[in-house]
Amino acid sequence: MTTPLLKVENLRIELTTRDGVAPVIDDLSFELGQNENISFVGESGCGKSMTALAIMGLLPEKIGRIASGSILFDGEDLTKASPARLRAIRGNEISMIFQEPMTSLNPVYTVGEQIAEVIREHQGLGRKAAWDMAADLLDAVRIPNARGRVSDYPFQMSGGQRQRVMIAMALACQPKILIADEPTTALDVTVQAQIFDLLRDLRKDTGTSIIMITHDMGAVAEMAERMIVMYAGRGAEIGPVEQIIEHARHPYTKGLTSCVPHIVSQLTEDRARLTEVPGIVPGLKDFGKNMCLFASRCNHRTEECLSARPPMKPFENGQIAACWHAEDV
Amino acid sequence: MADTPNTPLLTVDKLGVRFAVKRGGGWGKRAFLYAVDDVSFTVNRGETLAIVGESGSGKTTAALAVARLTAAYTGSVKLDGQELLGLEGEELRQARNKVQFIFQDPYSSLNPRQRAEDIVREPLVSLTDKSGAEQQQIIDRLFAEVGLRPEQKRLFPHQFSGGQRQRIGIARALATQPQLIICDEPVSALDVAVQAQILNLLRDLQSELGLTYLFISHDLGVVQHMCDSIAVMYMGRIVEHTDRLSLFNNPLHPYTKALLSAVPSVDKKRRAETKRILIPGDPPDPVNLPPGCRFANRCPAATDVCRQSEPPLTDHGGYHRVACHLVNDSKTAAI
Ligand SMILES: Nc1ncnc2c1ncn2[C@@H]1O[C@H](COP(=O)(O)OP(=O)(O)OP(=O)(O)O)[C@@H](O)[C@H]1O
Ligand SMILES: Nc1ncnc2c1ncn2[C@@H]1O[C@H](COP(=O)(O)OP(=O)(O)OP(=O)(O)O)[C@@H](O)[C@H]1O
Ligand code: SF4
Ligand SMILES: [Mg+2]
Ligand SMILES: [Mg+2]
Repeated sequence: MTTPLLKVENLRIELTTRDGVAPVIDDLSFELGQNENISFVGESGCGKSMTALAIMGLLPEKIGRIASGSILFDGEDLTKASPARLRAIRGNEISMIFQEPMTSLNPVYTVGEQIAEVIREHQGLGRKAAWDMAADLLDAVRIPNARGRVSDYPFQMSGGQRQRVMIAMALACQPKILIADEPTTALDVTVQAQIFDLLRDLRKDTGTSIIMITHDMGAVAEMAERMIVMYAGRGAEIGPVEQIIEHARHPYTKGLTSCVPHIVSQLTEDRARLTEVPGIVPGLKDFGKNMCLFASRCNHRTEECLSARPPMKPFENGQIAACWHAEDV
Repeated sequence: MADTPNTPLLTVDKLGVRFAVKRGGGWGKRAFLYAVDDVSFTVNRGETLAIVGESGSGKTTAALAVARLTAAYTGSVKLDGQELLGLEGEELRQARNKVQFIFQDPYSSLNPRQRAEDIVREPLVSLTDKSGAEQQQIIDRLFAEVGLRPEQKRLFPHQFSGGQRQRIGIARALATQPQLIICDEPVSALDVAVQAQILNLLRDLQSELGLTYLFISHDLGVVQHMCDSIAVMYMGRIVEHTDRLSLFNNPLHPYTKALLSAVPSVDKKRRAETKRILIPGDPPDPVNLPPGCRFANRCPAATDVCRQSEPPLTDHGGYHRVACHLVNDSKTAAI
């Protein structure tokens, strides 16, 4: 295997809140290959966005810090990089589509101005050249009549179009890694399908690696080769998507897949009751405890689960699961 | 209750809701946005009709009009044989008992200053003449029914999780023993694990109490699991309406086909079989609709006829209603 483009090792991120210091990311390791697409899944509050922000060097100021571990990008440890260096990387080599598209565009500037601004800042192009490139990018993300719409304000566009503008901005610098945090959650499925197509083409044409964060297992199945299931700040399971969907090795992954009513190839009369995963994700103050944090919701739980954090168990097929009873799942 | 199953509880006929909007120029000319246009459907007792369709297609507006929470300018809404449009005063209050809403957002749909039990009590106070003791009895029963503990009655919304808040919303909706419950995206704000709990609860309550649901959701997986029949809306109109299996296994309208083909699936077989049908572009301006089919500008099968005359919603056998000129035409069959 060639060296990965991104290698995150034993990453620990601490957040300081009123309740004290808690590891919002706790000993997380994963790799992203050249031209690979991986997905993060997990319920709300499990640390998916926080992982992305750590890679971008955008942890919440004063509250969040990298306590230990490393983030190797092209061999360079981003946890040790200067703010200036991080800013340069952020604009040029790693870019991100944020979770809330509506709030990430400035309402008082045209979309063209906003894209051109990014281009000028990072590629040192002149005003005219940057504007032309902005129009090209809008065209590339399939905004109809891009040359005409480049001077539209965000409110003049539909939700799907605004999201495509966000993608155009993220692509402005031809990044090596594109991080997309729930890029389609607020959009209609037909629009989502268009955005997914766009991301797929992008990867084919430019070789960009993609990290996609999502709640939707179907989206993972459609877009990614490997997935990382996060639970309470920890990696619960990592491995090839097809295999995990077929046979999850962590009870949480299994719960996530089976509690959702899926659309299948041929629908029949019978509708099984949905599997319930009782309870909810623990709050931040319980992160970091030396036990399996899923234990209170798990039907495989034994004494062992409550007394020590389960290690990452590798399986021969490449799946890795942090569960004491992974073999039995 | 549910004495005669398979008979319609709700019959909506040629329903229309329009909003006056200001348009263009300094004169602020008035124009209408027809959010719900010529919509007709029935829902059988004890069954679930799902309404799906893209954002802005008129799902919520149609539901609000059925519940008399927004005004329809034309059409008829019959619940259990009684016409709801035009009711006033005490009659309207009585009718409102029979239709209740469960909203999308369990965070903003509950008054943060009210205790859980008072939230559930509210419709009993405003819509019925039950005594205090009777109210309390009903509240206790409802808490048990939706899976909340008795001691949680005195808590405020912020002391509950999202799923628990949605349970309060469901208890409130059940308080007046409604016949029809309208669920508008009842689980979209919830995490998938909690979603499953609420969906199971809604189905359990339906079979226990013989409830009839109008179920709005953009999640076709959820819809597939919850409904008996489905109406697909596009730009204020129903474009396809039929039973669950026909809709998912044999969709006929090009928009429905595109919609279903866009749903990402964990099912390998489905992914291999599904050919994605892309519908480029945007829907037309709702205030300035083109003549003809509203989907024509995005439809992969559209012909001149489609751009000229609006297709009526017609039954293609076995109550499979479709509004498309080209159904059973070789051209749409191919997409
Ligand atoms: N600025 C902040 N201050 C304090 N706590 C925070 C902050 N940002 C996030 N958290 C907490 O950190 C944890 C992880 O948050 P994160 O945003 O990474 O979750 P997520 O997995 O992306 O969830 P979602 O699916 O809701 O986006 C949560 O418990 C959250 O409440
Ligand atoms: N009070 C109002 N005044 C003017 N226009 C309105 C009003 N309420 C809704 N509309 C418009 O009516 C149309 C239908 O809106 P509606 O909320 O019913 O859509 P929906 O299908 O429920 O969409 P979503 O999936 O986004 O909830 C939209 O074009 C909307 O902008
Ligand atoms: S370690 Fe124990 S509690 Fe945790 S997921 Fe595995 S079986 Fe369940
Ligand atoms: Mg997030
Ligand atoms: Mg709505």
